[in-house]
Amino acid sequence: MTAQQSHRFSISDGTTRRRFLATTGALGGAAALAACGGATGGGGGGDEGEELVGVGNNGEAGTGRSGDAADQLFIAGFQWSPPTNFNTFAGAPAWPASSNVAQYVYETLLRFDIVSGELLPGLAASYKVDGNESISLTLQDGITWHDGSEFTADDALYTFELGKIDPGLGVASFWTEVDEMTADGKTISIAINAERKNVGAVLAQLAQQFIVPKAVFEKVVEETGKNVASWETDEAIGTGPFTLELADQTQIILARNEDYWGEEFYGGLPKMSKIIHPIFKSNEDGNIKFQSGALDVMQQFVPQIWKMWESGKPVGTYLQEEPYYVPGSVPMFLMNATTPGLDDPKVRKALAYAVDYASIAETAMSGYSSQVLASLIIPDGAEDQWLDRDKAKADGWAYDAEKAESLLQEAGYAKGDDGIYAKDGQKLGPWKMITPQGWTDWNAALKIVSKNFQDIGVDASTNFPQQAQVTTAIQNGDFAMACWYVAGTNPATPWQRFSDVMSNVDMVELGQTAYRNYGRWENGEVNDLLEVAAAAPDDDSKKEALTALDELYRAEVPAFPLMYRPDEFFEFNASNWTNWPTEDNDYAPPMFRGAGNTWIFELKKIGE
Amino acid sequence: MSTVNTSMAEETAAPRANTLRSFNVSARFWVALVIVAGVILMSLAGFVYPTGPAEKVGSLYDPPGNGLLMGTDNFGHDVIAVLMAGTRTSLIIGLVAGIVATTIGVGVGLLAGYVGGWFEELLMGVTNVVLAIPAIVVLILISMSLPNSTIWSLAIVIGITSWPWTARAVRAQASSVATREHIDVARLSGVRLPGILLKDVLPYILSYAVMAFVLQVAGAILAEAALSMLGLGPSGVNSLGTQLHWALAFQAVASGAWWAFLPPTLVLTLVSFGFLLLQASLDEVFNPRLRRGKRKQMKQAAARREEEARLLAEQAVAPGAPAGPGAGGTHEHPERSEAGDPV
Repeated sequence: MTAQQSHRFSISDGTTRRRFLATTGALGGAAALAACGGATGGGGGGDEGEELVGVGNNGEAGTGRSGDAADQLFIAGFQWSPPTNFNTFAGAPAWPASSNVAQYVYETLLRFDIVSGELLPGLAASYKVDGNESISLTLQDGITWHDGSEFTADDALYTFELGKIDPGLGVASFWTEVDEMTADGKTISIAINAERKNVGAVLAQLAQQFIVPKAVFEKVVEETGKNVASWETDEAIGTGPFTLELADQTQIILARNEDYWGEEFYGGLPKMSKIIHPIFKSNEDGNIKFQSGALDVMQQFVPQIWKMWESGKPVGTYLQEEPYYVPGSVPMFLMNATTPGLDDPKVRKALAYAVDYASIAETAMSGYSSQVLASLIIPDGAEDQWLDRDKAKADGWAYDAEKAESLLQEAGYAKGDDGIYAKDGQKLGPWKMITPQGWTDWNAALKIVSKNFQDIGVDASTNFPQQAQVTTAIQNGDFAMACWYVAGTNPATPWQRFSDVMSNVDMVELGQTAYRNYGRWENGEVNDLLEVAAAAPDDDSKKEALTALDELYRAEVPAFPLMYRPDEFFEFNASNWTNWPTEDNDYAPPMFRGAGNTWIFELKKIGE
Repeated sequence: MSTVNTSMAEETAAPRANTLRSFNVSARFWVALVIVAGVILMSLAGFVYPTGPAEKVGSLYDPPGNGLLMGTDNFGHDVIAVLMAGTRTSLIIGLVAGIVATTIGVGVGLLAGYVGGWFEELLMGVTNVVLAIPAIVVLILISMSLPNSTIWSLAIVIGITSWPWTARAVRAQASSVATREHIDVARLSGVRLPGILLKDVLPYILSYAVMAFVLQVAGAILAEAALSMLGLGPSGVNSLGTQLHWALAFQAVASGAWWAFLPPTLVLTLVSFGFLLLQASLDEVFNPRLRRGKRKQMKQAAARREEEARLLAEQAVAPGAPAGPGAGGTHEHPERSEAGDPV
């Protein structure tokens, strides 16, 4: 998988692109190359007649930086305050120690590809799933830690063991899905919880958990009295291609690990000698630096990014056309099913019909969202294979205000003198729609939803408290309507998302903390369906079970998606580096985490 | 006191042909009035403007053109329509907050200044404490703790955090008025405290209260803009502050969408400039000593007096002449100028 050939081909329309996304690299060929305008090198970089790929969406590339900066990669969008702690288990560790952001210092056993849905080898060279009972992993050869010591299976075991030693750590949730984890030489065997049989959730953990050195953390456990999260350190000893060189108030600098174990596996060392993450105060500061080429790649929201390449900047994104970014998460519109009025599935469905999704995608998301489908499965990328698109279109919803009103009337509601629908004296509203202040695209989306609801005669207004307040309100069920996140694309989705939205397992009362099904929607069938889907032995039966869940979801509408968002914003400026991953140059997914580290070995310096 | 007033009255005693000129308003009063009236008219024009502020007419930050004079904002709404609605909201908030702040300020100031003693110490102690806490901090904290923010709640919150300086200034004037003879007369004739405050003290500081009110309105409009820009503004309503908030949130400056943030900024500047100018020129109306071109007027007045004196002298020479028309004038004027005279 590693030394992938760069496939380049032309994409004639959206449907082709979708197919392509679902089956990475399966299509394509050199014949279509000539038709592909985006891949022709422009700008100063390609003056030797050589074709540059992975450049700006306008086909431009820069002329390269001079001096030391020419060999360095400038990255942004992960760290917003001075780094204080590089303990990956702490509450808010600094980049890149914060879990599952990038495989630069710490690495994971497997690496997830958000476009193909594949699990690529990481520290583990291969993995094998045996039905839904066990998973076995074989580790790579010759892995060493940054301090020169040898990496063994014990390190991996101990990392997960920490979840048992300190149950307050996130990794502790691994043990709800796993009964036992053992090692024999280079082989690790994992026995999956016999009752839950949730292979997807285990694989997701294997692809997200950074493996840490046992030697270091054994001492930490001793020193902190098993409170690993409280440990503070300015060092990060990992296995990755970069070591932490410097971290101060203004930047974090990673230096290339010249003894990296993966030199052979990845076909070389990373192309950049250093990765530098300047720390900005705001999105806007970073965006200006990015536009000027002082940043090479970043994970930040840029409204109307097309203006950058239209004005001649060598800025590019993975997709050449809208939505530019590969969707990977779904901001959900939650409704509290214990609220009078919202307890009626017909009302909830009417509300789903009332929302102008195209408007939200166009303005609130700056066009970075494809058309919303009435499904909990993201109709793109890795999850597309599980979606029954025809069924979703047939009995799903779309923006239709008249239909929304007629559904309300069918449900027995009539418009009062104030223009608000009511039944038996129970008005639809006034309701508050909450989401955290400063989550600007969500704030804007809810403002549009609020207007849509007022237009059909449902009284709902927006309210944007601070994030902590919103989190508590949503977990305790202390809300009528909210925009909130559910699982983004990972090896456990779409199952994980169905569970997040609909699961009736361990239902908690209003006022107590819930970790899923915040709307307290109750249903007798869903738990069985979830169990069947989690334990499905093969792909066909898994798809069948997921479709059954999706149908129940469409009938009951416990929540509905407002838009799609990329898992990570991935935009690059080809003023110093080219061969960025794009849909025409798809050797790597547009990610920083997981499989996203592939591109650091493949970038090309301009002028070389 | 009376000597000052008499001499003042004499300075301005020149006969005036029309009533407007007798009000002695300066050119900047008219400039201020035009600005404020223009902004108010603009906000009212929203009622007849064909596009509603919540109507989607374009996409994210469409540039001006295509029949849209100022393009669209981040929601695809017509910036002009949003601006009109926003100005209206901001003016309402300013007005309500101004009334609340001036009422509390004048009330506390009057009571403290008139009653005096330990009561004055107490009220002024409270005022000073409130004055010492930065109003914006209190504003943010209260706004954050409000369960739902409407324009009315916001206006009242702004009002109850901005009264202290009015109270202090009113107290100073009220305590001075309280020592005048007519207050003693009122007290002796059995008028109750509210009556004295409203009928005998308030009229003397009314001009100051009006000016303070104008300042409070301008301050409240700016306070609303500051709060809304932080995202603590009224929900579901357009105001100048929320318009700036969305422009900031959707990085209008970096995207070069000047039409999204410049119009509300301009209107805000105009509103506060207009109100401050109005306050300054009202000051001149109420307080003749501050009138512009005073020296010139005084010279003119002196010339007129000289002329009158010359006429009087001529009349005095002529036997059986009446006392002269100037006498009536000097009797009328003291009352008017005394009311606006700062003590």
